[in-house]
Amino acid sequence: MNDQTMVTGSEEINIPSLAGVAARRAAQDAAQAAPQGDSGDRSGPSEQPVFTVRDLSVHYGKNLALKDVTMDIRPRRITAIIGPSGCGKSTLIRCFNRMNELIPGARVSGEILYRGENIYAPGVDPVVVRRHIGMVFQRPNPFPKSIYDNVAFGARINGYKGDMDELVERSLRRAALWDEVRNQLKKSALDLSGGQQQRLCIARAIAVEPDVILMDEPASALDPIATVRIEDLMQELKQDYSIVIVTHNMQQAARVSDETAFLYTEVDESTAGRWGILVEFGETGQIFTRPRDKRTEDYVSGRFG
Amino acid sequence: MRDSFHRELESLDQAIVRMGALVEQSTHRATTALIECDKELAQRVRDGDNEIDALFLDVEKRSLVLLAQQAPVAGDLRLIVAILRSLTDLERSGDLAYNIAKLSQMEDFRQSELKAVRALVAEMGRAAAKVMAAAIDAWAAKDERMAAGIAAEDDVLDDLHARLIEKLVELKGEDSLAPAIRLAMIGRYLERIGDHAVNIGERLRYFLTGDEEHLG
Repeated sequence: MNDQTMVTGSEEINIPSLAGVAARRAAQDAAQAAPQGDSGDRSGPSEQPVFTVRDLSVHYGKNLALKDVTMDIRPRRITAIIGPSGCGKSTLIRCFNRMNELIPGARVSGEILYRGENIYAPGVDPVVVRRHIGMVFQRPNPFPKSIYDNVAFGARINGYKGDMDELVERSLRRAALWDEVRNQLKKSALDLSGGQQQRLCIARAIAVEPDVILMDEPASALDPIATVRIEDLMQELKQDYSIVIVTHNMQQAARVSDETAFLYTEVDESTAGRWGILVEFGETGQIFTRPRDKRTEDYVSGRFG
Repeated sequence: MRDSFHRELESLDQAIVRMGALVEQSTHRATTALIECDKELAQRVRDGDNEIDALFLDVEKRSLVLLAQQAPVAGDLRLIVAILRSLTDLERSGDLAYNIAKLSQMEDFRQSELKAVRALVAEMGRAAAKVMAAAIDAWAAKDERMAAGIAAEDDVLDDLHARLIEKLVELKGEDSLAPAIRLAMIGRYLERIGDHAVNIGERLRYFLTGDEEHLG
């Protein structure tokens, strides 16, 4: 759990990698801002994926954990990753911002292109990757600092030159927390409720203006009301960010996501080896009303897992 | 917990087969009561509708409980949708059989000039029961090919209905007017039972294929 402190903050961003990404993000933002007929589906099939995953496999030491995953993550959508324990959901989401390499012995093969650039290419700084691709964890992990300083933390490290008060307010508003904390910004973040702490972590993640927010079971430690607030917030955030969420809660995946990836554990009887594979990936409505694969059907309708 | 959910779902699925069998029987008996002027048999059909209505309310209530408590998805969701939709078709069909039985108690259709139309109504009654039986057999077997074949069975019924109307129009004499109107209604009811059976086949195809065009 030492990765709990590895949020969106970074020590240095002056390494010139992912140089093309900022330009492409800006171009796409401009394209998106242009008036369009139907605002319902903001992400056409022709739009460049935010992630292009090809034959992604992950080993921990000698053990294969995830095998040959190929999928595209579309921008400004919520993509849910579901599957039973041990199927590689967390392993997969951690590949998207190179969190796996914080685990000793982890090895990634295959390709993940983030807006067309290979984030595992030599010379790419993982810290820069994580500035574009923020993460929110299962347990809210605010720093033992004030609410204000939690949100300002990443921006300060990045040498943010703008109005810090304005950035903190904007981030807290975006995270639907401002009204609850506006009069106690100097209070310790640890005095907030669990649900508020999680929204603070989201505010902290978006304060550095990432492109993608990864959420690893973001509501599993929260009560139902706090969970609904996080789910509502996700719907707001997807106007501006691409979101990938790992969840154990299938109904949550059904409620919040646009697309769902179902991972399942494959077992090699002879060696007792177990690894995760991507069984089915599609629009959430399709996955939950007419899954194509029998294993998806059995899993989502609770027949195993 | 999911096990008990699937047992309950299976029980609801079986209830559709049971209701279908009752509707088929009522259709058959109501027609027999009419042809043979058996007022007692007609009364049994009318009384029997209570059981169909009770099943309707029971299955509907239990389906809603499953939706609320189990949040079914995928095939389970499609089955509950198919059950709820078919349930209405069965309940309506039961009411139509009830109506036929009631009309048969109001009128004696054994006049000699009605002989030809009576034969047609008898044939329609058999055909309607057969379409319903085909729907229920397909449902019980969860067989898409059988479900797709129901419409052809129903075409036979529709042809008989058209012929019945022609024959009724040809009837002469004031005495024939009241029974002719009633027989026209009865023919219409039997034809509707066939349509409901076709609907049930479509709901079944939706369940089996997930293809929403069968929900319409």
